[in-house]
Amino acid sequence: MAVSGSERVQAVSSRWGATRVTAVQMGIVAGILAVAGGAFFDVRPPEAYGICMACHGRDLVNWVINDLADTRLTIAPASQVFPVLTTIGVLLGALLGATTSGEFRLWTPESAVKNFAYGVLVMNFALLAGGCSIRLLLRASSGEWLGLLAFCGMAGGVVLGTFWLRWQATR
Amino acid sequence: MTAAVATLVVGVVVGYMAQRSRMCFVGGIRDFMLIRDTRLLMGLVAFGLVAWVGFPIAGLLVGERALPQFPQDAMSTGITVLGAVGVGYTSVLANGCPLRQHVLAAQGVKSSVAYLVGFFAGAIAFHAWTEPVLLRLLP
Repeated sequence: MAVSGSERVQAVSSRWGATRVTAVQMGIVAGILAVAGGAFFDVRPPEAYGICMACHGRDLVNWVINDLADTRLTIAPASQVFPVLTTIGVLLGALLGATTSGEFRLWTPESAVKNFAYGVLVMNFALLAGGCSIRLLLRASSGEWLGLLAFCGMAGGVVLGTFWLRWQATR
Repeated sequence: MTAAVATLVVGVVVGYMAQRSRMCFVGGIRDFMLIRDTRLLMGLVAFGLVAWVGFPIAGLLVGERALPQFPQDAMSTGITVLGAVGVGYTSVLANGCPLRQHVLAAQGVKSSVAYLVGFFAGAIAFHAWTEPVLLRLLP
C-alpha cells in the first residue's frame, strides 16, 4: 500500500523525541547562551568567544596534542587550563536529537574525499578570519568593526558560492 | 574548568536544537538566494539580534562596558576579510556551515564525518604550515 506524504510525516513526528524547534527559537537560545558563556562562565578571552565551531575545535585538538606530545600549538587563553568542549557537546546533543526522533541513519550522500578537502579548507579560512560563520556574526554583534566586515565578507562568499552552484547546475 | 563545563552544556543544547531545527548559518543566505526561503535566514537574524542586545545587558550585569573595537591595520583587516570570504564560499560548496556538519555527522552522514576529520586535521595543518608560510611571505 502506498503511503501518502502527510501520513509518512505523521508517522515520523508521532515519535516520542520528535519535538519541533524552529530556526528562530534555535537562534534566540544560541544567542543567549553565546553571550552568557562569555560574560558569566569564563569563556574568554578573546571577546565574543561563546560559540565557535572552528576555534573551539582547534583548541580541543591542539590542547590534546600539546598534552600528549608536549608541543606548543596555539590555544586561545580561554582553553589554557582545560579545553572548551563545544565540539563534543554539539555532537552529543545532535546525536540525542537524532536518536530520540528516529532520524539517525548511516549513509554517504557525497564523496568523502571531497568533503575531507572542504573540511581542511574551511578550517584554514576560519582560523585566518578568526572564527567560523557563527563567531563572525557574534563578533559583529559584540560591536567589533572587523567582525562586522568579516561577516559581510562571509555573506559575500556565500553569495559567490551559491552563484557558482547555480551556474554549474544550469550549464 | 568552568569554561569547559559551560561549553559542554551549551554545546549539548545548541546541538540538540540545531538538529531539530536543521539550522545552518550558511544555508540561510543560500536558501534565500536559491528559493526565496527565509526560514533559516530568520534564525541567523535572530541569533545576531539577540547577541547584539545581549552583550550590553551582560556587560551591565557583570559591571564592565565593552567599547567598540576598530580594525588595527590594513593587512590584518585584509586577511580577515579574505578568510571570511573563503569560509562562506567553501561552506556553501561543502553544503553547510561547520555547525551543520557537526550535526550531520552525529546524525550518521558519513561524508560529514570525513568533513570533520578534515576540519580537525586542518587545525593542525594551519598552525604547522599555513601560519608559518604566511608569516614568512607577508611583510
